[in-house]
Amino acid sequence: MEKTHRILEIEDIHTYYGESHVIQGLSLFVNAHEAVSILGRNGVGKTTTLRSIMGLTPPRSGSITIDGQKTIRWPAHRVSRLGVAYVPAERHIFPGLTVKENLKIAARSGNGGEPCTLERVYDYFPVLADRTNQDGSTLSGGEQQMLAIGRALISNPKIIIMDEPSQGLSPLLVVAITQIVKDFCVDSGMTLLVVEQNYRMALKVANRHYLMSTKGKITGIATTQELIDNQQIILDHLAV
Amino acid sequence: MSGIATAVDITLNSLVLGGVFLIVAVGLNIIYGLSRVMNLAHGSLYAIGAYTGYTIVSLGVNFFVALLLAPIIVGIIGLIIERIVIAPMRKRSMIYTLILTYGLMFFLDGLIKYVWGNEPRFVAIPAFMRETISIFGTHYPVFRLTTLVTTAAVMIGLMLFLNKTRIGMILKAASTIPEMVSCLGFNMNYIHIGAFILGCALAGVAGIVAGPLTTIDPLMGHEMLISSFVVIVIGGLGSLRGAVFAALLIGLVQTLAEFFITDLAMVIVYMMMAVILAFMPRGLFGEGKFE
Repeated sequence: MEKTHRILEIEDIHTYYGESHVIQGLSLFVNAHEAVSILGRNGVGKTTTLRSIMGLTPPRSGSITIDGQKTIRWPAHRVSRLGVAYVPAERHIFPGLTVKENLKIAARSGNGGEPCTLERVYDYFPVLADRTNQDGSTLSGGEQQMLAIGRALISNPKIIIMDEPSQGLSPLLVVAITQIVKDFCVDSGMTLLVVEQNYRMALKVANRHYLMSTKGKITGIATTQELIDNQQIILDHLAV
Repeated sequence: MSGIATAVDITLNSLVLGGVFLIVAVGLNIIYGLSRVMNLAHGSLYAIGAYTGYTIVSLGVNFFVALLLAPIIVGIIGLIIERIVIAPMRKRSMIYTLILTYGLMFFLDGLIKYVWGNEPRFVAIPAFMRETISIFGTHYPVFRLTTLVTTAAVMIGLMLFLNKTRIGMILKAASTIPEMVSCLGFNMNYIHIGAFILGCALAGVAGIVAGPLTTIDPLMGHEMLISSFVVIVIGGLGSLRGAVFAALLIGLVQTLAEFFITDLAMVIVYMMMAVILAFMPRGLFGEGKFE
């Protein structure tokens, strides 16, 4: 695969909630096998960006290209079938379904390579194997996040888009989930776009970072090294 | 009749009645649970199930073949209704489909009167179903047992479908977080259509199995609509487990009441509903999921 193959490219999208113009001209891209983060404070439009990509809140104008397909007016199920896995901040684990069923309904064969299976997910997250027949909604916050990540992996996607994986987790669990995302979503060659307020987590998992300020405006792009060298950039963007 | 025979009689009758309530109510619940559509024409589809069964049997077809055909026909009618009436209102508030299906109820009732007339009809059931068998001293009609077995089989089949098949799991998931189901690659439109057809087919099944129990008349659907509302309100909107419990409870209460104080049977059922709602406004099992 060529190095510069772009899995995701967003050009000048404008997204509204009703009359509220939430994203005002956002552009970004993610290359294959790259882990990218969008860093920004609460309410700048990070979640809306992901919902725009997913087709849940379709942009009114602009263009989104996923793996060569223009997906701007596509409903979520078509975007998903193209190979986009969504891990929402709320996890959205299905109550009434067991851990195993939550994984099985998402399972899809990948396109070549070694597919991720139920066994593989249980290998990654032994705690889910222990809870396989338990109602998914009875899991703890951290376990639900693992299940949501497992559910994304088992669909063998081309790209995972992840909304605030650290949200609502204790500092200890944030460290654990960070490691999980790093090991299974990044180091395994998966393509990842993650949205975070927690810059420590974002710096650990992603190598390129978009800094977002209000209305989805990108005010800076930096590599992890640049952000580590110049912490002031982060403070300017994320400090309240 | 001895005391035991009476008790057996009442128990079986309440199970038969409760079983029919259950199938109708579960159909309503599935449609509501997946599409947030309260189908007020559901009772009329139940009546059409009964009439269709009557017509198929009177053409000389075996009752059990009719039992299979009638729900399919009602399911097809459901598909047409979904496409024309329900689907265009998908993005609007529930009140639109409430009003539309209310109108549809009158349309279907008119259609029934136009096709089958006003006079009551009776299904010609096979000879063996007209027999009675002796159970603990009571001579129980075979056709009632057939109803009981059919409703039980339908419910067991439905539970297996929802709990053991992949499609069933997707339906359960869609009844809780539809947006996430879309994000896993499933087209919610097909799920809405499928749920509506399934719900209507269930009304059809209930209609044909209830046919031999009562006379088939154009108003049979109204009474059933109200009874099945009572079931889902008591059990908890959308809750399948609640519907099972509530249907059997109402079957029992109504049968008992009819046995002892016939004139007050429905009054007692509604009073019970009022009391339950006064203390548990969301029904016995809460506004529920498919479990």
